[in-house]
Amino acid sequence: MKASLTRREAVRAGALGVAGLYVAGCGSSSSSSSATSSSSSQGASTSPVTLNWETWNDHYLPAQLAAVQKQTGIEARPSLESDDSDGYLKVKQTGGQYDIVSTDALWAPKYFHDGLTEAFDMSSIPVSSQLYSVAKQVPFWTVSGGYLVYPNGWSSVNIYYNPKFVNPAPTSWEVLTEPKYAGKVVAENQPTDLMAMAGLATGAKQPYQMSTSEISRAQQFLKSAKPAFLKLVSQNSDSVRALADGSAWMALENLGTDYRVKAAGGPVVKIAVPKEGVVGWIDGEQLVKASSHKNRFDQFVNAMEQAPWVAQNFIANGRPLFNEKAYKILVNQGQQERADLLYYNQPEKALEMTLKGPSGNVQAYIDAFNQVFGA
Amino acid sequence: MRSRLSQYVGFAPAAVLFGVFFLAPLALIVAYSFWEVINYNVVHHWTLDNYRYFFSTPTYVTTLWDTIWVAAVATFLTLLAAFPLAYWLARYVRPSVRRLLLLLIILPFWTSYLLRVTSWTTILGEKGVLNRFLEAIGVIHQPLSFLLYNRPAVILVLVYLYFPFAALTLYATLERFDWMQLRAAMDLGAPPRTAMTRVLLPQIRPGITTAVIFVFIPVLGEYLTPQLVGGTRGVMIGNLIVNFFQGAEYTRGAAVSLLIAALIVIMLILFRKQLDVAEAYGR
Repeated sequence: MKASLTRREAVRAGALGVAGLYVAGCGSSSSSSSATSSSSSQGASTSPVTLNWETWNDHYLPAQLAAVQKQTGIEARPSLESDDSDGYLKVKQTGGQYDIVSTDALWAPKYFHDGLTEAFDMSSIPVSSQLYSVAKQVPFWTVSGGYLVYPNGWSSVNIYYNPKFVNPAPTSWEVLTEPKYAGKVVAENQPTDLMAMAGLATGAKQPYQMSTSEISRAQQFLKSAKPAFLKLVSQNSDSVRALADGSAWMALENLGTDYRVKAAGGPVVKIAVPKEGVVGWIDGEQLVKASSHKNRFDQFVNAMEQAPWVAQNFIANGRPLFNEKAYKILVNQGQQERADLLYYNQPEKALEMTLKGPSGNVQAYIDAFNQVFGA
Repeated sequence: MRSRLSQYVGFAPAAVLFGVFFLAPLALIVAYSFWEVINYNVVHHWTLDNYRYFFSTPTYVTTLWDTIWVAAVATFLTLLAAFPLAYWLARYVRPSVRRLLLLLIILPFWTSYLLRVTSWTTILGEKGVLNRFLEAIGVIHQPLSFLLYNRPAVILVLVYLYFPFAALTLYATLERFDWMQLRAAMDLGAPPRTAMTRVLLPQIRPGITTAVIFVFIPVLGEYLTPQLVGGTRGVMIGNLIVNFFQGAEYTRGAAVSLLIAALIVIMLILFRKQLDVAEAYGR
């Protein structure tokens, strides 16, 4: 046996190895795609299929996915999106790679008008009878061909404050401009939403569709509020940590942050709803138009959105959801106080907020934001 | 001819990787920087607007200058901390102990970058290790809030992150230095400081330049460290680029990224004159 390889032999071996890996990879993907195509052509309700789901991590529980797969044969493969524009761009750029995409409020009409999603018949999903009626009548989710989004949950972005240090309780976004709170506020780094919040503070009629002058006023407000911000975080858990360890006295966060701060061993924090109004979101699941498994959407949603799972989701993630039957389960489980504090039984509040959506001029929003938070 | 071509066969895989995963994306970025985004769609309309906008907006120019300043200060402090260690390792430490110490220098690389940066929030935070220690020994009665979420915190963490690069590079250069030259210089009457500056430093200049390159250039593109420990007062240009891409403003982000890349290329050309490759490899 030779002790060493010549250069030619080494290059040949490397090339064969790469080719072998490629063939192996193609073989596994083609076998899985042939399995899915055969099951969809059969149309059997429990035939195995994989649905690629662009979503957020609070839309599902791991045990839930396993149970749904066992029941329906549908393996959901969640892929996390950082925000709505991220999800939108991924679906836009990858076509049928995704089957279901989660979105907020006014993004749904954009998806639909850009030909990325399809409307569906809500009545063909039996579990929809468990929803609050207001969730099935959202005007901008209703089109002639059906409904655009299967509703999941909602939240407003409020001011959570530590009453030990913040006195009196905030009543307006102007609290962010008070010098005594310099360096004591945290918020999530979402430029468009922060600009929209500033638009609310400065009286913009449509914070996500501001005119040039309104953007300018919002920018000025953010500039005067900038000293208040300790940091802009990437997710809610960072805000929770800041409130819990006392480095922040206020946070602009979703409903339920007070419970999460308490669970993290932090102090009591309270919620303040500014008089100018709040930005918020209502979200749900959309059917991707280019999906190869559109016929399984109804079945998947019907299995995922059953009240017991939704109730568990509330306990895990602590924000209001649109499933009314799940609320009753929570009441029976002794969770009514928490659910009511989070407005679970007041779904109509969801439509009173300034709802998230694509900005009319995202470039202007980002530019204005960067000019405030740049060096 | 055939034997000459066959010399490059081994380079072919690297060339393909380099071409596909570096040159092609770079070409795309260059093209994007001259296009525009309208309603989340990249429109292939050639324009200089992205660059015009950057230079006409004071915030971006200021942030870029501040980023260069942070990179320069972090590089200087990193070399200041790394040089004495590398000198001591190369000159005074026994080889058997040296190996262990070198291992300790590279040990942080066994943990993730994110973890190394995040750990500083538990050290410098209001309820962090440092504040608790100072409170425990009675030096302070209230936690110090200025230790974190500002520019000095960013510089401190950058020095920590890039210290191993500088230390190893300087050590590699100092290890090959003939220390007898220093003794000879002092025997001929040169004070120690003169021997260092007139004999040692010129000969290890390529190593110093390499260490500067290894620290300064990656720091220029940093965004995670200022994001995690800089707060709103430690923003670097990388953070603004991230905001562009988050908002699907690919063309603006590409233009600013390309400006950083151009700056790095200019600096490499300048540094190249300081860097004698033959000396660096001991030939």
